[in-house]
Amino acid sequence: MSTYKDRYKSADDGMRFQDLVYQGNFKGMDPVPDGILGDKVLRQRAKSKVLEKVSKEDVLRDQFTVDELNDLNNYLAWNIWDVLVMRATEGVSGMIPRQEYEILAFMHEFYRWPEILEMTTNEVGAQGIIDIGASARREIGTKVNCVHDWCIGAVGFGMGRCGLLALEAIQPQDYVRESNIILKFMQRVLWGKRQDGYILNSQDRYRCKIHEKDILDKLLGQVEYFEPGSEKHDSLVRFNAAAELLSFLDHYDCRLGLGDTGPYELPDGKIMIIRDLFTNEEVYDWSDVCDHENVPHCYTLCLVIDPDKMALSEIRVNDISTTFTRPKNYIEHIVGGAVFVREKWNTPMGEVYQVKISELDKRLEGIQQATFKLYTKFSRMSRRTLITNGMYVYYIDMILPHLRLAGTYDKACTDYEFWEIDQRVSNYYYDIVKRGFAQATVPQKIFSGEGYLPFPDNVSLNRSKYYWK
Amino acid sequence: MSYVAEGYNSFETKKTPSGIVKYLPDPKSVIALIQSGKLKEHILLVQGGTTTFLAPALSMGSIGVITMSGAPESHLGILSREFQMPCVMTAYLTDSDSRYVTGGNNNAHFAAIIKALEGKKVQLHCEDRETGRIAIIS
Repeated sequence: MSTYKDRYKSADDGMRFQDLVYQGNFKGMDPVPDGILGDKVLRQRAKSKVLEKVSKEDVLRDQFTVDELNDLNNYLAWNIWDVLVMRATEGVSGMIPRQEYEILAFMHEFYRWPEILEMTTNEVGAQGIIDIGASARREIGTKVNCVHDWCIGAVGFGMGRCGLLALEAIQPQDYVRESNIILKFMQRVLWGKRQDGYILNSQDRYRCKIHEKDILDKLLGQVEYFEPGSEKHDSLVRFNAAAELLSFLDHYDCRLGLGDTGPYELPDGKIMIIRDLFTNEEVYDWSDVCDHENVPHCYTLCLVIDPDKMALSEIRVNDISTTFTRPKNYIEHIVGGAVFVREKWNTPMGEVYQVKISELDKRLEGIQQATFKLYTKFSRMSRRTLITNGMYVYYIDMILPHLRLAGTYDKACTDYEFWEIDQRVSNYYYDIVKRGFAQATVPQKIFSGEGYLPFPDNVSLNRSKYYWK
Repeated sequence: MSYVAEGYNSFETKKTPSGIVKYLPDPKSVIALIQSGKLKEHILLVQGGTTTFLAPALSMGSIGVITMSGAPESHLGILSREFQMPCVMTAYLTDSDSRYVTGGNNNAHFAAIIKALEGKKVQLHCEDRETGRIAIIS
């Protein structure tokens, strides 16, 4: 029997998925746990109402106040810890220098994104940004999803500012205006996507139920049901795993290749997760091996899970679009599924087509071949090339879907030199490998929460940075 | 049964794969193992908990993995669950107090684990919700 619905009762504090606790800027106060209880504590400690349900009028307002900025800073810092602190133990890749490319990308985003996001907002208006978020409610295979939208604020603002503070390249009172631009863009996209007043899944007990009912009904009508352990079950599971692996690999071992929404409760008591696996991103030159194997931009999988058979006690679709459950192994309790193909990022929804589970093996071969070819290609690249490519995956891809839908990607490339690397960040390349900055200092600042210094209370909202020392 | 090592269990499973432990230090060794056709004879031992390093081995059907860092929330932890391939993460030797330290110098810790496990025939036990265990069977 499942108990996961108990987690949705207002008095319930959820389970603890880890033993660690978070301190951040709350020195002298009780540490904060993970999960639903952590969200409650953060909201209790907020000075403003920005972490509660907010109205469209709030979202359309041009700027956050300093209190709102600091509440968002604290919440995002905890949220980053909540979803990533255990992942931080994974150490070096042996293949891709991820910690190095990540920190460079964080800082690059904080420097470069504000003017590009401001230009995009000026082009389509604040309502246009909300509409970009809302487009995800009627589409599958779209990168306007939790992880991309979250990254705008959590990575570009949160980790970017944190990294630059750690490097002592900026002070807490710097770049207030630019921080506001980034966070407003994030809020508008996420609010438009959710349309329940919240912006993050952690505010809604880790639910991301964004799709409109008619879209869900259409997808559900195409689900094939099977017994766990049957040939169809095995085929779907094998395909899901292989496609997910390629989506990670094509995105340089980062979560941008994966996008879950849900859990959607079905009339018969089962739950459905909708999973986008972005197996071929055309903006990367290394994706040519995916083209050669006819791998599409995205495979979308509907996974129907029996919560009672797995005795599901909690399910989290977290803000980086990843599903975690207790017990952990939901795979063996998948009782139905469907697979859809979106050939290109802009393929109209009417041209998205289904592949029957019995026909997946032919496609699986292409995925395996593309994976091996991509791996071989990466294994021949220099460390510098791998870091540069990885930096681009973060810096470009995290806002690429929003620029594409706004129609400002080309303008960003030509007028704003989107694909150039800022000279300051180029120089940081040499600093981050010294004294364990990328592998120890920054992860410690990010995952302890110590590095997300608040903005001073009396700072001007127009404050930027006009001098360097 | 006595266990020589244990660590985080990536996911609960009744599968108990066994094989000769093979330490994979770099991408070339991964490619060589794939090309040898002997992938399924081995339990793979790797340093990191990331996905890309083991990508082709996962894709081609590796039977079990031991990592010396990382957690079920790491990409490799997630993918091992998706592949239903037992995976013991941040493994440590049960007769030693040495433990992995995030961001620290773990070279001696890694070397001791590699020395204790490489070339041994082991079996993975991953029924427990939290802890995965490794037994030497010959």
